[in-house]
Amino acid sequence: MENLLDINFLIESIPAIVSRLPITIGIAVGSLILSLFIGVATALIKIYRVPVLRVISSIYVSFIRGTPLLVQIYLVFYGIPKIIYYLQIQYGWLQSADVNSIPPEVYALVAFSVNLGAYLSETIRSAIESVDRGQFEAAKSIGMTPAQMMLKIIFPQALAVAIPNLGNMFISTIKDTSLVFIIGVIDIMGQAKILGSRGLAFFEVYIGVSIVYWILCIAVERLLVLIEKRARRYERGIAS
Amino acid sequence: MIKLENIHKYYDSQHVLKGIDLIVNKGEVVAILGPSGSGKSTLLRCINFLEQPTRGIVEISDKRVDAESASKADISSLRNSTGMVFQQYNLFKNFTVLQNVMIGLTSVKKIHKAEAKKMSLEILERVGLTNRLNHYPSQLSGGQQQRVGIARALALNPEVLLFDEPTSSLDPELVDEVLTTIKKVASEGNTMLIVTHELNFARDISDRVIFMEDGVIIEEGTPEQIFNHPKVERTKQFLGKAIRAK
Ligand SMILES: Nc1ncnc2c1ncn2[C@@H]1O[C@H](COP(=O)(O)OP(=O)(O)OP(=O)(O)O)[C@@H](O)[C@H]1O
Ligand SMILES: [Mg+2]
Repeated sequence: MENLLDINFLIESIPAIVSRLPITIGIAVGSLILSLFIGVATALIKIYRVPVLRVISSIYVSFIRGTPLLVQIYLVFYGIPKIIYYLQIQYGWLQSADVNSIPPEVYALVAFSVNLGAYLSETIRSAIESVDRGQFEAAKSIGMTPAQMMLKIIFPQALAVAIPNLGNMFISTIKDTSLVFIIGVIDIMGQAKILGSRGLAFFEVYIGVSIVYWILCIAVERLLVLIEKRARRYERGIAS
Repeated sequence: MIKLENIHKYYDSQHVLKGIDLIVNKGEVVAILGPSGSGKSTLLRCINFLEQPTRGIVEISDKRVDAESASKADISSLRNSTGMVFQQYNLFKNFTVLQNVMIGLTSVKKIHKAEAKKMSLEILERVGLTNRLNHYPSQLSGGQQQRVGIARALALNPEVLLFDEPTSSLDPELVDEVLTTIKKVASEGNTMLIVTHELNFARDISDRVIFMEDGVIIEEGTPEQIFNHPKVERTKQFLGKAIRAK
C-alpha cells in the first residue's frame, strides 16, 4: 500500500530540525539587535538632516528596498571576502583576518542586519517623529543633553509606537532566514533539506520544518503582545 | 537676577521680538500680558533658548550669553538655571510622577538616587501630590499634571521659573488648584516670569506687570499702575476688553 506520508519519518525528523533552532533564532535575533542600531542611526541622520550621511543613508535604504534579499546575501557572502582580500593585498590592512575561517553564519548575520536595518529605518524615523514636540522641549528645558533626551524620553516612547511594526518585520525576518542555507548555514531549513535528501522524503521534512516555523512565529507573536503591553503601560493602565 | 538686553527674534523675515530689554530681580514675580501673537511665548522661550534669539543677550546670575555666539555649554548653563512650566504640561509620559520630578536631579545634576528621591518627595509634598507618586501622567487630571510640571521645574532649584500660560489648557474647575500652587511657589521667594491670561491672578501674584504688543514691551509697572491707571491707550483697551469679556 502506498502512503501519502511517511508519518514516522516526519516525526523522527522534527527533533533533528529543532536542534538547529538556535541558529535560526540566533541569526534572527542577532540581526534584529544590529539592525536596530542601523535603523536608529539612519533615522537620526534623516531627522537631523546630517549632510553627506543623509545622502548615503537614503541610497542605502533605497538600494536594499529595491533589490532581492537573496541577491543581498550573495553580495555579502562573495563581496566581503573579496574586499578583505583586496585591502590585505593593496594596503596591508586587516592582516590578522583569515578570510577562509569566517563562518557562513557571520555573513548571514551581516546580510540580514543590513537588510532589516534599511526596513527599520523608516519605521523608527516615523516613530521618533510621532513623539510629541513637547516631550523634546521639556527634556531640553530641564537641561538634559541630547543623548539623555533620546535614550530616556524619546526612544522609549518611540519604541512603544513602533513595536507592532518592528514585530511584523522581525517575524518576516525569521521566515526569511530560511534562505541562509544557500551560503552553507545549516539552520532549521538546511537541516530539513539534509534530512530530506538522506531519506528521500522531502514532503515529510518540509511539513516538519513548516510546523517548526509556524510554532516559532506564534510564540514570537505572543511574546510581542506582552512586550507591547509592557512598553505601553504608561498610556492608560492601573496605577501600581 | 535675570537680565535681557535687546532681544530680537525673527522667524524667516517675520520680526517677532523687536528689541526686548527686561530686568527681573531676585525674588520678583513678573507677569507678562498682551494680545495673542504679541510674542509672549517666544520671549519666554528665548530665555532658555528653546528658541534661539536672533540677537541679544540673556544674562542669568552673572552668566552672560550672547545669542550670536552662544555655545552648547552656554545654552545648557541657561537651561540649568531656568525651569519651565508649559501650557500643555509636557510631563514625560513614560515616567511616573516621582520619576518626572527625579529625572532632572539624577541625570542632569547627577545626584544620587536615594537623595534625589528624598528631595523629590519634599517638592511633591509642597504641591500636594504625595498620594500620586506612582501614577503615570495619563492617569492624572490636568490640574494634577500641571502641579507635577511645577514640581519638576522646581526640583532643579532654578534661578528663575518661566510659566507659559500654565492654566490655559485646564478645565475651569481645575484652574484654582494650579493658581493656588503657583501663588505658594511665589510666596516662597522664587523668581518668576509668568505669561497668563488670568488677569485677576496676574494682579494678585505679581510685583510687576509687563504689557507686550507686536514684539515690544509697550508698558510696564506695578499691578496697581497697569490695572488701575494704564497710561498707554492700547493697554487700556486690552484690559478693558479682557475685563468686560469676563
Ligand atoms: N516656530 C515658529 N515659526 C514661525 N513663526 C512663529 C513660530 N512661533 C511663533 N511664531 C510667530 O511669532 C508670533 C508670536 O508668537 P507667540 O507664540 O510668541 O505669541 P504669544 O504672545 O505667545 O501668543 P498667544 O497668546 O496666542 O500664546 C506669532 O505671529 C507667531 O505666528
Ligand atoms: Mg503663547
